[in-house]
Amino acid sequence: MNDFSVEAKGLTKYFGDFKAVDDVSLTVPTGSIYGVLGPNGAGKTTSLRMTLGIIDPDEGTSRVFGERPQAVRHRIGYLPEERGLYPGMKAREAIAFMGALRGLDWSEGRRRAATFMTELGLERVIDEKIRKMSKGMAQMIQLIGSIVHGPDLIVLDEPFSGLDPVNQERLEMLVRRERDRGATILFSTHVMAHAERLCDRLAIIARSQRRFEGTVDDARALLPMQVRYTPRGDADAAAIAALLPAGAEPRGDSWFFPIEDVDVEPLLARITGSGLGVAGLSITRPALHDAFVHIVRQVDASFDADASTDAVEEALA
Amino acid sequence: MTPFLKNMLVIARRDFLAIVATPTFLLFLLAPLFMVGMGLAGGMGASQLADSARGAGRIVAVVGADDVEALRAADTRLRASVARRVPELEVRIAGPATTDPIAIAREKGSDTYAVLSGPLATPRIIEREADSNAGHYLALLADDVLRLKAAGPLPAVAPKFEALSSGGTSIALQQSLGFGAVFIIFLLTLLLAGQTVSSLAEEKGNKVIEILAAAVPLESVFLGKLLGFLGVAVLFIAFWLAMALVGGLIAALRIDPAALASVQSASKATAALAAAPATGWPFFLGIGFVYFILSFLLLGAVFLGVGAQAATVREIQMLSLPITIFQVGMFSLSTAAASAPGSSLSTIAQIFPLSSPLAMAARAATDDSKAVHLLALGWQAVWVALVIFLSVRLFRAGVLSGGGSWKFWRRSGRAAALAATAAAATEQAADRH
Repeated sequence: MNDFSVEAKGLTKYFGDFKAVDDVSLTVPTGSIYGVLGPNGAGKTTSLRMTLGIIDPDEGTSRVFGERPQAVRHRIGYLPEERGLYPGMKAREAIAFMGALRGLDWSEGRRRAATFMTELGLERVIDEKIRKMSKGMAQMIQLIGSIVHGPDLIVLDEPFSGLDPVNQERLEMLVRRERDRGATILFSTHVMAHAERLCDRLAIIARSQRRFEGTVDDARALLPMQVRYTPRGDADAAAIAALLPAGAEPRGDSWFFPIEDVDVEPLLARITGSGLGVAGLSITRPALHDAFVHIVRQVDASFDADASTDAVEEALA
Repeated sequence: MTPFLKNMLVIARRDFLAIVATPTFLLFLLAPLFMVGMGLAGGMGASQLADSARGAGRIVAVVGADDVEALRAADTRLRASVARRVPELEVRIAGPATTDPIAIAREKGSDTYAVLSGPLATPRIIEREADSNAGHYLALLADDVLRLKAAGPLPAVAPKFEALSSGGTSIALQQSLGFGAVFIIFLLTLLLAGQTVSSLAEEKGNKVIEILAAAVPLESVFLGKLLGFLGVAVLFIAFWLAMALVGGLIAALRIDPAALASVQSASKATAALAAAPATGWPFFLGIGFVYFILSFLLLGAVFLGVGAQAATVREIQMLSLPITIFQVGMFSLSTAAASAPGSSLSTIAQIFPLSSPLAMAARAATDDSKAVHLLALGWQAVWVALVIFLSVRLFRAGVLSGGGSWKFWRRSGRAAALAATAAAATEQAADRH
């Protein structure tokens, strides 16, 4: 068995003169849930499409289970960003059709479709035509269609968009269950809450390039912890400021400041020894959302700086 | 079965059922009835018009009582030998009240094309139009009557007719069969293969194309679609063949056997030269059907490939006209080839991939060599594969990748947009400094 289900290296894609994806590499461990995060238009979908061999990269290579993605299509399940089903098909037939495309027998596909739909509370629309369904329901049908053949790699492009909270939870459950079955899950999203709950590892893509790769904790560790300290009684602001690290800001009764892991214990010692007292103290790790925003903003800032420099050079030339 | 074939059949099955299992398919299936109905109505109208026109026309001869019978006999004799249809002859005996030919020519009730009066040696002929056939015919009748009178009674002719036991095969009829094959294959292809131009529009419209592209090779998608449409076409043909057979059987059962026998003997008598294709009926019909399939696949593949590049329904509609004109072009080329077997034009039509099935079907009617058809089928199959291959490459590079489109107007549009953006950026930079 391969250690990595997906090994994409240096994927690059131009659309005309626009570099949509620039040297993106993705290495997805087998049996993991891997998230590809990024703002809108970052290049997530194009990266996934190249990874699966739907479109050819201008540079770079992609291997799935050690082979060309086209050679292992039957082991892959894919939910594209742009949802698509034949409106005239009944739900069960649509799922069986998608299974048949990956080599699953039609009758077995129909049987599995009924099982999946019943599990997900969709049994009442088994023989309903797609055109009569709500968008969310049709999306769930398509999701079932992408996993009905029991794939070893499931690639979901923005799977949560368009789903209500109940169906989002069902989808999370389904993703975990498929991972427990042994499948590898690769999904893209720009909703951090799902990534934070689901991902074993993740990559952040911004402005066409991969900017981060690691675990959720690795991402959160990019930013220092945040401290909120509320002294007891009416303490002198100058005395408090002297006690706390530089950059501490007062807001109402409390003071806010970032802190590194190693500085926590000395800070606590200073506070308890100062006699200012503690009416409230919270030390929180930043969420994945904060880390994501931080990374994206950094990238945007460097781009803006580059653009200004280019404009100056162009004008001077 | 290989995965490729399996995938192809999955796509074909879906497409076939999506077309056949709809109420509109019934309309499609019965569409020829409308065509036949309209044709019958138009034909009946035209026939009635022709009949009434024929019934109203006449030529009139005003002659002495002695010449009436001789004139009628001459009309009977000569009428069969005159190529052009001559209006009915009305013979009147000359009398004081009936001798004014102008008055006769102006009589109401029917069209009078010419009136002959006066002595047969120097007849006066009033024509509706100068130098008309009707006038010349009346002069010919007068001449014939006078000649017979001058020659006196003729000895009776006793002809002895002999017929060849076998008349052989008519070259002209074989060419007609060739033309018929070209026409039928063209008509069926025109009616049925043109649909493939919009067949990928559904997948592009409802975004299923990405699912298909991720799951199976695009070649199997294209071929599967062609196969699905071919299935619909074959079903259409089978339905109408069955209807024709049933109709023929019912008609045969209702016809009096004696009348049928007389018709058969009459047709035997008239068919001095057999109307059999050079390769024989079973081979000709079989190969004709195979050529229809190849023609369908070839043109269908071209249309599918071109249609796949269209971004909107409007673009597909715009493509319909050049496609139809192109098909008519192939028909004209093949028809010309069928009417000149063995010519260089016919060779070109047989080699050019898109006219090859039509021209080769025509060749099966006039040339008895059979091995050449195997070669032609292989050649055409290679072109089907080549067209599919190119269509898929274009589709992948252009439509699916969302860039690198082959459409020059889009390329030039994008280039212009990029140039404009670059110009704006330069302008902004200059403003800042």
